[in-house]
Amino acid sequence: MTDQPVLDVRGLVVRRDDLVAVRGVDIQVRAGQRVGLVGESGAGKSLTALAVMGLLQLGWTTEGQVLHDGVDLTRISDRAFSSRRGRTLSMIFQDPLSALNPTQRVGAQITGVVRRHTEASRDDARAQALELFTQMHLPRPEQMLRAYPHELSGGQRQRVMIAMAMACYPQLIIADEPTTALDVTVQKQVLRLLDAAVQDRGSALLLITHDLSVIAAMCDHVLVMYGGRVVEEGPVREVLRSPRHPYTKGLLESQPTLDNIELEGTARLPSIRGNVPSLHDMPTGCAFRTRCDRATAQCEVVPVLEGDASRAACWHPEPALSQAGRS
Amino acid sequence: MSAETHGVPIIAASGVCQEYKLARRTLLGRRERLAALQDVSFHAMPGEAVGVVGESGSGKSTLTRLLVGQERPTAGVMEHEGRDLWSLDRDGRQEFRRSVQVVLQNPRSSLDPRMRVGSSLLQPLRALHVEVDMAARVREVLEQVGLGTDVLSKYPHEFSGGQLQRIAIARALMPHPKVVIADEPVSALDVSIQAQVLNLLKDLVTELGLTLVLIAHDLSVVAYTTSRVAVMSGGRIVETGRPADLFHHPTAEATQALVDAVLTVENGLAGKALR
Amino acid sequence: MSTAADGMITAGELAGRGPDPAGARRGRRRGQVNTGLVVGLVMTVTFLAIAALSLVWTPADPNAVAPADRLLPFGSPGHLIGTDALGRDIASALMIGARTSIVVAAGAALLGLVLGTVAGLTAASARPFVDETVMRGADILLSIPGVVFALVLAATVGAGVGSTVFALSVFFTPSFTRVVRAAALRVLGEDYVAAAQLYGRNRLFILARHVLPNIFSVLIVQFTLYFAVGILTEAGLSYLGVGVNRPDISWGMLLKEAQETVGVASPLAIWPGLAIVFAVLGLNLLGDGLRDVLDPRLRKRAS
Repeated sequence: MTDQPVLDVRGLVVRRDDLVAVRGVDIQVRAGQRVGLVGESGAGKSLTALAVMGLLQLGWTTEGQVLHDGVDLTRISDRAFSSRRGRTLSMIFQDPLSALNPTQRVGAQITGVVRRHTEASRDDARAQALELFTQMHLPRPEQMLRAYPHELSGGQRQRVMIAMAMACYPQLIIADEPTTALDVTVQKQVLRLLDAAVQDRGSALLLITHDLSVIAAMCDHVLVMYGGRVVEEGPVREVLRSPRHPYTKGLLESQPTLDNIELEGTARLPSIRGNVPSLHDMPTGCAFRTRCDRATAQCEVVPVLEGDASRAACWHPEPALSQAGRS
Repeated sequence: MSAETHGVPIIAASGVCQEYKLARRTLLGRRERLAALQDVSFHAMPGEAVGVVGESGSGKSTLTRLLVGQERPTAGVMEHEGRDLWSLDRDGRQEFRRSVQVVLQNPRSSLDPRMRVGSSLLQPLRALHVEVDMAARVREVLEQVGLGTDVLSKYPHEFSGGQLQRIAIARALMPHPKVVIADEPVSALDVSIQAQVLNLLKDLVTELGLTLVLIAHDLSVVAYTTSRVAVMSGGRIVETGRPADLFHHPTAEATQALVDAVLTVENGLAGKALR
Repeated sequence: MSTAADGMITAGELAGRGPDPAGARRGRRRGQVNTGLVVGLVMTVTFLAIAALSLVWTPADPNAVAPADRLLPFGSPGHLIGTDALGRDIASALMIGARTSIVVAAGAALLGLVLGTVAGLTAASARPFVDETVMRGADILLSIPGVVFALVLAATVGAGVGSTVFALSVFFTPSFTRVVRAAALRVLGEDYVAAAQLYGRNRLFILARHVLPNIFSVLIVQFTLYFAVGILTEAGLSYLGVGVNRPDISWGMLLKEAQETVGVASPLAIWPGLAIVFAVLGLNLLGDGLRDVLDPRLRKRAS
């Protein structure tokens, strides 16, 4: 592995007028690494991904650097960006129905991507598309190529999206909530395929989700975002086994899982109090302090990420060597 | 609060079928029928929390519409406290509407954006002509869901999703219902808020003796909140049982699939989540 | 759908909650003034003010013939914009014409709006058979060209303000019906309508208390835009001689009169023409501006 990261986001700020949604985020993704970005609404995770892909809606502006393959993506022209999108980096969206062109057969869309970025002939591109569809376990791939997006089920569409994203062996794949719109049973199949596809190609993955269990299944490094900042970062095992930021800890404890089902009716889930702050009234200092049991006057100053194995932006973090077990 | 078999179910479906007519394919073609529910029997006892799980298309939304009296089944009987729902007189119907209330999935859609929260809360009382001290009832219900009276003069857009879902639950509680039917009440909410809302629903069952019917696609959500779960697949109830039993010894294929699909952090860290 | 990109959506959604409390906040939050809206508002208010003024005061009697003062140029004392071939004051005629435009165009738009709202709400909330009947009826009405209908009406009933308003409203109603039905269907699909049905509210209550307030912004925008269409169509009809005639005055009629003297005094046609452009442009800017502010969905689609 080279020491040059495939994605190096430095001090990213995304804002619209005086509305600051992302407040200085650093992300490094090394070749072949799988990084998860967790957060809930207003955390800024999706805007971060869109900013990296140069797909922000009109009115949003960015500050900071997004380095990929030796260039700063925030400074190159739309044209130069287009030639990279789909080739060296590609994206998988939450809603494949709106991401696919409804008037074009999916096969044509895939071969279009292949031919735009490679020298492949029409027949070669078609053969590649067929191969990709087979890898994605799409039933009757020959016929599937001739289908329009609306003729496919949600899971099939998302597999088409993954196939398209993988077509040019990108260095980096950004997947924004790839399974949120799918049924639970389909979610697992799609994650499995994404996992295998990333593995085969040695691509790096930046997976954005609100679901910690998806991160646990797919990633080896995780960043937890809250209020536009990264509040905790580290190897997945460290962060999820012994979370140091109270927000991460609260998220982990408040999810109903197999373990607390045994309690059946008697006990209650620990929950994070308060509400997710909106962009318009984000607390100053540590954004989580209004919901945090440990908050003190010190928390009015923004904490920085600190730590060894995993880093947390908190003035009163959990001790680093806490037990792995959860209640 | 446990699911004993004596007494009369507060809400029940027996041998219920529901068919929908599809649109004509051709001008004079025959309208095909889609069987959304086939011979479904389901009940909830007073004070019981019952769950319904299934994937999309399994028929759980159709069952919800039948339980709340929005649609009439093509066959079978819907009962409320032992009386046939569709042969109730005017007063009986009114009483049913008062005692069975609904909480829907998307709190942004379930409150009128142009109506102040206070007015929205009073709607069920006014519509159902419930004779109570409205001001006192509003205060009582807001306290039950953990909100202050300052919410009353505000509009829905001033709240976050979690707060709106509390307001929607408050509205459902206003007319002193006996049953609350919650259709995916947390799936549109942020993860850190879901536990709050589930705990609230759970408290309402224990403290107010409410009957809760919780419909969801996520087995762990249903299992946490309820004491008996019906698993739906292909328009039928394929298995019913205590959540722990379903989890550990699923018998139906659909239950097995749902259990297998549950991703947990522990499984993920152990590297066996995707197996 | 609430999880991903919610930050982005919340801001937009907040901006879409209409003229109540959100309205005041939104302007500040977005921090930018909608230029088109402001210009349109100023132009429309000017137009309305001039029409209102003509009720109490005009520089001269626009129907008073004064052969001695004929074809006075712009800026003549006592006749600010000059006079026509019969010596009648043009400024006064334009002011009265503004009033006629409002009566005819706004009247027709209002009538169309009321009928269209009733029909649209009925279609949206009734059984499929009623819906189909109403909408196919609207299609049939839409297939009759408005101008042709007005010509026939003028030929049978007689030209005038009344029949012009009637002809225009027949022309407008089906369009309003379609727009209202679409907007109402969107609201009827919301969960708060389902909730209201479940606690026993009847159709009339739901339409009046839930649907109408939520489609109000659509109605305002449509009214403004059809007001402008009405002015144009009325001008066209009067120009053809089947609209307004003296002693009533309208801009289209002034155009027709100016055309008769076009070789002698070309500028005569400019003034009513400019008046029409001013009023229509103002209303269109206002309508588009309102749509941007009140209905973010349309704005998103447009961009």
